Amino acid sequence: MGVPAFFRWLSRKYPSIIVHCLEEKAKEYNGIKIPVDTSKPNPNEVEFDNLYLDMNGIIHPCTHPEDKPAPKNEDEMMVAIFEYIDRLFNIVRPRRVLYMAIDGVAPRAKMNQQRSRRFRASKEGVELAEEKQKMREEVIERGGYLPPEGIKERFDSNCITPGTEFMDNLAKCLRYYVADRLTNDPGWRSITVFLSDASVPGEGEHKIMDFIRRQRADLIMLGLATHEPNFTIIREEFKPNKPRPCALCGQIGHEIKDCQGLAREKQGEHDEFADTIPASEQEFIFIRLAVLREYLERELTMASLPFPFDFERSVDDWVFMCFFVGNDFLPHLPSLEIREGAIDRLVGIYKDVVHRTGRVELIMQAVGVAEDNIFKKRKDDDESFKRRMKEKKKRMKSQQGPSFIPGGQYAPRALGGRDGPMVVQNARHSAYEMRMQGNQRNQGAAGASDNMETRGVKRKAEDSDSEPEPEDNVRLWEDGWKQRYYKTKFDVDATDDEFRKKVVKSYVEGLCWVLRYYYQGCASWKWYFPFHYAPFASDFKDIKGMFSDFETGTKPFKPLEQLMSVFPAASGNFLPTTWRALMTDPESSIIDFYPDDFAIDLNGKKYAWQGVALLPFVDERRLRAAIAEVYSDLTPDEVRRNSLGSDVIFVGKSHPLCDFILELYRAESHEGTEIPAEFCHGIQGTLNLDEDPILPDKPVESPIPTLRDIRSSCAIGIKFKDPQFGDGFVFKAVVLSGAKIPNKVLKPGDWEQSNRGPWRPQLGFNPNRQQAHLDQSGFRKLNHHVGRSQGAGHFGQGPPLGGQHRGGQYSSAPPPRNYHQGNYRPPQRDHYPQSQCEFKLS
Amino acid sequence: MATTDVEDFIGQNRLLSDFVEKFRGLSESDKQWKYRREFLFRNISNYEEEEEEESRVDHLLAMSMVWANHVFMGCRYNPELLERVREMADGIDVEDAPVFKTRDELIKQQQQKVNNLPPILHITAEVCTVCASASTNKFANINMSFDHVISDCFTIKESEFNFTLYLGA
Repeated sequence: MGVPAFFRWLSRKYPSIIVHCLEEKAKEYNGIKIPVDTSKPNPNEVEFDNLYLDMNGIIHPCTHPEDKPAPKNEDEMMVAIFEYIDRLFNIVRPRRVLYMAIDGVAPRAKMNQQRSRRFRASKEGVELAEEKQKMREEVIERGGYLPPEGIKERFDSNCITPGTEFMDNLAKCLRYYVADRLTNDPGWRSITVFLSDASVPGEGEHKIMDFIRRQRADLIMLGLATHEPNFTIIREEFKPNKPRPCALCGQIGHEIKDCQGLAREKQGEHDEFADTIPASEQEFIFIRLAVLREYLERELTMASLPFPFDFERSVDDWVFMCFFVGNDFLPHLPSLEIREGAIDRLVGIYKDVVHRTGRVELIMQAVGVAEDNIFKKRKDDDESFKRRMKEKKKRMKSQQGPSFIPGGQYAPRALGGRDGPMVVQNARHSAYEMRMQGNQRNQGAAGASDNMETRGVKRKAEDSDSEPEPEDNVRLWEDGWKQRYYKTKFDVDATDDEFRKKVVKSYVEGLCWVLRYYYQGCASWKWYFPFHYAPFASDFKDIKGMFSDFETGTKPFKPLEQLMSVFPAASGNFLPTTWRALMTDPESSIIDFYPDDFAIDLNGKKYAWQGVALLPFVDERRLRAAIAEVYSDLTPDEVRRNSLGSDVIFVGKSHPLCDFILELYRAESHEGTEIPAEFCHGIQGTLNLDEDPILPDKPVESPIPTLRDIRSSCAIGIKFKDPQFGDGFVFKAVVLSGAKIPNKVLKPGDWEQSNRGPWRPQLGFNPNRQQAHLDQSGFRKLNHHVGRSQGAGHFGQGPPLGGQHRGGQYSSAPPPRNYHQGNYRPPQRDHYPQSQCEFKLS
Repeated sequence: MATTDVEDFIGQNRLLSDFVEKFRGLSESDKQWKYRREFLFRNISNYEEEEEEESRVDHLLAMSMVWANHVFMGCRYNPELLERVREMADGIDVEDAPVFKTRDELIKQQQQKVNNLPPILHITAEVCTVCASASTNKFANINMSFDHVISDCFTIKESEFNFTLYLGA
């Protein structure tokens, strides 16, 4: 599904869940930067206890950013990562826990997606490097100027995978970072820091959820819709169509293929703005899950049902339906696309069947029935979209102005001229006339375009603007789509029921696996969906008895083993030599895992990256057997990198836990020790001595040349393990008793009837936010400048527009119910036009 | 080897065929397994000297997967490797093999469109890519594409592409 598609849908449907983050910036006096004091109250008017960071969402943009030139070397990348974490820390200001989770070895179910990404990224990197080289030569030939080639080794983003040296270095750097901040930043003084680096298996978000889940055995979190009432997510605001710098010369405004290597214009008199790309710094937003719960409560509540309705269960069901539409472990059903409103469709069906058993099957049947229409409608929408784009292009070419400019008395006039605009006469008549004119014009245009289309295919070929249709052998909108789908995608006849059942069974297993993953943890490290495509909704028949249980006692791959399963041969440089040979030697018994090139199924899309990559699945048994023969070749460092590591916990000197940990080191107690609950806000777990610990009053060497060593650390670190539970333990999905439910934010449905005055939306976290307002002297000043002689009404002198207070546009009263914005008045002499003064005070 | 031959073979070598049956993949369709099994039967004697050691059989399995991935999934490997498995598959008559466009081909095609050049066609030993790109050529015949190379392609001679530039020698 892609996270962007899901969040776009979510934030459009439930807009009040988003709040912009206020970020306090560091002040600068006389050239000295004064860092922000994060121990001060949070300017977002909310205090957070815990901040959980999924580090991979930070590592990728810092190491290979899309909207700025890439960092020159690894050290710069680390510094960028530190600064990013600092920004988040500044915005959120957690008071108890900071948990940083880096992706470790993922479950097998995820590996196929990772493999696909890395195989593609490897090829794309090579292509980009070739193109750059070619363009470079061309530009220089033409006499252009390019900055001298910075780094020579292109950064292969595939190194952001557990087991590589890069991830090992990252772990070292983060330890330094934590020690430094605990020592020097007052905002970190009393928090507990957890670091789960790439040597600990599990995806970042899984590790976070596992941690939370295990802290209170009877409490569980979901990823998105949570039973924990006080959960908020922070992410970068997605700004579409941001300009990207040209990969060759580093300037914005053109792409690499148009690069002419012109000298950069000076920004500012002495080029002092050189490094600032305008408005380039990423902003963040909060996503309030509590508000999402409110929305869902409304959407899913069915007051009229005779059955008892459990909201928490229906939240679970909603999450399940979202999974149907997209997750990282299963390809989504062809008839369910987020941008077509698939989730809404499912929710609609769900409401119909919620009280019946066999819900999943019923939902799938209902979708199955609709599949035909979904495909036809998709095709229609596609066609009309293309048509509209063509029309738009033509319009753009012929005239640069807007397609329709109102004429007559509605024609735009310049502001501030001597003839003020007149009051509009006879508005309805004019509007009618304009509509009539428009119709005639449209008919003319429609006539012309009809002619064009009837001229047929020849025309299309000559029109150089039109792009050829992406190939689609399945054509879901035409009858017989099911047969064609199974034939082209799976290479089986539609009559092969056995095979289809196999696919459906695997898919059902997959859904169970995904649900278990989010509610309980990883059910099986080995399970994966062994097909590249999903079945159709209408194939989900008789699924009740299909699935029993997963194999127990499965273990994750070790980091280097995992590298062998997700890397193409071209990224073999990250592996030990004899291991790398297994990827290229024709005598290797796993050579089939590493094709040089693989097929892409465009699946109706236009570009290669959108298609499905048909990569072979890795056979675990054969992989382990092949590696067993070369295991002994590992150097001690590689052995270390290959081992499964442990989480680490850090606290500052003044933290109550510090002395306890210090005592453990002094006593050299090598057995695990339970954390005493009273020292750490009730956090539970087992502590084990770290072999190379960070200790208070001892120096910590900086792994980054540009950053200082810490002479005397105020931090202490020790290994940490989550509380363990028996194999069959089930984490319950309920709200903890005594949990404080946050105040409701959305406007209640019956507000209009309740006569409580106008609704004031809550714009941030604080329902009692201070509203800005002026007092009388302020109004007088404003009125003086903007002009008073308006007679009754607008500037606070005459009777108000319907309130008891001194009313008018600048009063402190809330705007009346039928407040109209934009009462335009002609400007007074040498005053700015009235419309500029209209700011709302609520 | 016709299907009946394979059936006979299985009948006469029960132990062996049971052994080989273990290697069927979970996601393999009947059709794919039928052909890959034949590949295994044809070549297993070469590996038998080593007493069916797991690792040697693994290599045979790898070769069978290289071949199957190539034919049924469109993967490309090192040309010598492909040649080797093709020899090992000699005699297997695959009917109705699916047709694919690889990523490299796709990218080239898109680049050509951008640069407005006529497509450069791969000259590969095993599949005539002109015949294979069914959707761009109304004379496409999938079964044909395996039995000749591009310079002998009947379809090309009938099509509008400008070849003289690219066929060269």
